[in-house]
Amino acid sequence: MGAASKIAAKDLRLRIRDRSVFILAVLVPLALALIFDAVFGSALEQGELSLEYGVVDEDHSDLSLIFLDTLRAIEGEGVLTLTVFDGRSEADAAVESGEMDAYFLVSEGLGAAVAQGGSGRIEVVGEVDAPTSTQIATSIAEQFGAGVATAQLSVSTSAAMLGAEPTEEQIAAWTEAAVAAERPFMFSDVSAATRQLDAPTYFAAGMAVFFLFFTVQFGVSGLLEEERQGTLSRLMSAPIGRMSVVAGKAILAFVIGIVATTILIVATRLLIGASWGAPWGVVMLVVAGVLCSIGIMGLVASAAKTPEGAGNMGAIVAVILGMLGGVFFPIGSGDDLLSKLQFITPHAWFMRGLGDLADGAEWTAALPATAALLVFAAVSSVVAVGLLRRRYRG
Amino acid sequence: MSFSIDHGETFGLLGPNGAGKTTSISMIAGLLRADAGEIVVAGKPITTSSVRGKAAIGLVPQELAIYPDLTARENLMFFGRLYGLSDLEDRVNEILGVIGLTDRARDLTKEFSGGMKRRLNIGIGLLHRPELLILDEPTVGVDPQSRNAILESVEALSSEGMAVLYTTHYMEEAERLCDRVAIIDEGEIRAEGTRRELVSLVGGKDRVTIAGSGNLAAAADVVRSMPDVAEASVSDHTIQILAADASRLLPDLLIGITGTGASITSVDVEEPNLEAVFLHLTGKALRD
Repeated sequence: MGAASKIAAKDLRLRIRDRSVFILAVLVPLALALIFDAVFGSALEQGELSLEYGVVDEDHSDLSLIFLDTLRAIEGEGVLTLTVFDGRSEADAAVESGEMDAYFLVSEGLGAAVAQGGSGRIEVVGEVDAPTSTQIATSIAEQFGAGVATAQLSVSTSAAMLGAEPTEEQIAAWTEAAVAAERPFMFSDVSAATRQLDAPTYFAAGMAVFFLFFTVQFGVSGLLEEERQGTLSRLMSAPIGRMSVVAGKAILAFVIGIVATTILIVATRLLIGASWGAPWGVVMLVVAGVLCSIGIMGLVASAAKTPEGAGNMGAIVAVILGMLGGVFFPIGSGDDLLSKLQFITPHAWFMRGLGDLADGAEWTAALPATAALLVFAAVSSVVAVGLLRRRYRG
Repeated sequence: MSFSIDHGETFGLLGPNGAGKTTSISMIAGLLRADAGEIVVAGKPITTSSVRGKAAIGLVPQELAIYPDLTARENLMFFGRLYGLSDLEDRVNEILGVIGLTDRARDLTKEFSGGMKRRLNIGIGLLHRPELLILDEPTVGVDPQSRNAILESVEALSSEGMAVLYTTHYMEEAERLCDRVAIIDEGEIRAEGTRRELVSLVGGKDRVTIAGSGNLAAAADVVRSMPDVAEASVSDHTIQILAADASRLLPDLLIGITGTGASITSVDVEEPNLEAVFLHLTGKALRD
């Protein structure tokens, strides 16, 4: 066993004897994850888009079939579930019972009216407690209507140019093309950047990475404790490499970080059903996250004069990065500044990595986030070691 | 600064606080990088990155260098492992006996008295049988009983053949323990040698201090005229006299002074010591 391992083993004994490591590294994050999930979990879940729509086709025209095809295309993209009802009463009952968020009513005569250049209606009947879903359904219907209007314009323009009425086949084809061009919503494949974790996993992951930055301080600030209690001079005068002391502290931080996070993962899986994703992907993220936290908190400690100073500075850094990284509340993935800014924090990359692993993705999905975390780790570690070398060069 | 220490020799660095003692031994122990020069211990050069050379050195820092949340045995075992001792268990038991902590080996050191902590601090420095033991003011803040125990331990180690480098600003410790002493001030060695050699630097004169009343100036004139009296001066109702072999001369001094009508209230005779040497060399007292 090398000198660094011996120093780490000694420190581990001290930390186990000092029970605060269990409290800060495991109990507090676990308790907060449970509390956050209980308090905010349902609110977070409501943010997920899941639409239950019905349709009643009383028209049975080419146009109503095109509308049905449009809805089925959206259903095929996995966002809404479509049920075709035979009549209004059946659809009304489904909406009133809350089984459906809304249904579309294509009244009889719509296709004929449109073919003659007139107008028709697609009604949306929504469930009173699902205003957002109803609004989306209304938007779908409005966009379809806009497509139909475009088709009507094409028909009249063509008739004027051709000097003859177009055939029914031509009208149907133009209508279909116009509606397709005016697709009410583009439900594209959800990208990795925008994929969201479910509430239990989100809060468990958030607390895990947030407290990881506190946990590793038990290791990285150990150098300052050695200095304060006078043992650093004795270690430095021993026949060991100078950086063995630093390496020993890093090993301890790594071990505590890995063990604490593993306990959190297992506990939240068992207690609140957190689904962390492909195991090897999670392992990669956790290892990279721990290395990253060691690098950043090591950098903080190398700039501090006392263990207390390192603790205070570390807490400030951890809270700011955690808040910015969205460990308490989702920051979102839009084009706003905050959404972009979050990715200057390792926390956001850790959360994104777990998001990438959601919905049964392969472990390789976590590679980009892992790489980002390793870059954070490398840069901060190099700077921290440089500062420590200057400080203890003698 | 240049000096050497032989096996079985105790070498003292004597100087006031801030003289450079701790800085000097920090360089010798490989803690600080020397701007220039060379340090060799047991034939091996010492730098901050030396590994083999440091194995020959045992350091007992001025501040306690022990882990309060480890037991005495755990402290010794940890540092013993760092030095790669093959007979670690036996050696730890031996050291616990030497420092008198066998019965308290399993107690956390934060529960120890100051003296016990000091003894453990020294024990850790001895653990790996160093060829050079460096003790940096090991008796600072120690009660008289523990202090005496520490001094006896150092004497025993020296007699066993270990080279000892001992820094102190206590003149009496340097006189008791050290075969040779270097007087250090402002980072420089002002003089080096045995106690006798250093004392000879101030002429080997005894200092007699006589307090009294009356015409002390006239009494000082009488004293000054006596043979073997090198110097006599008056200040604050005392006559300060420097003379060779003052014990033999004392009766004549007292007769001469009282003969002038002055009365004597106290007499103090000091043989030349390292304090006087330090004062002579630096113009200031050791405790300044």
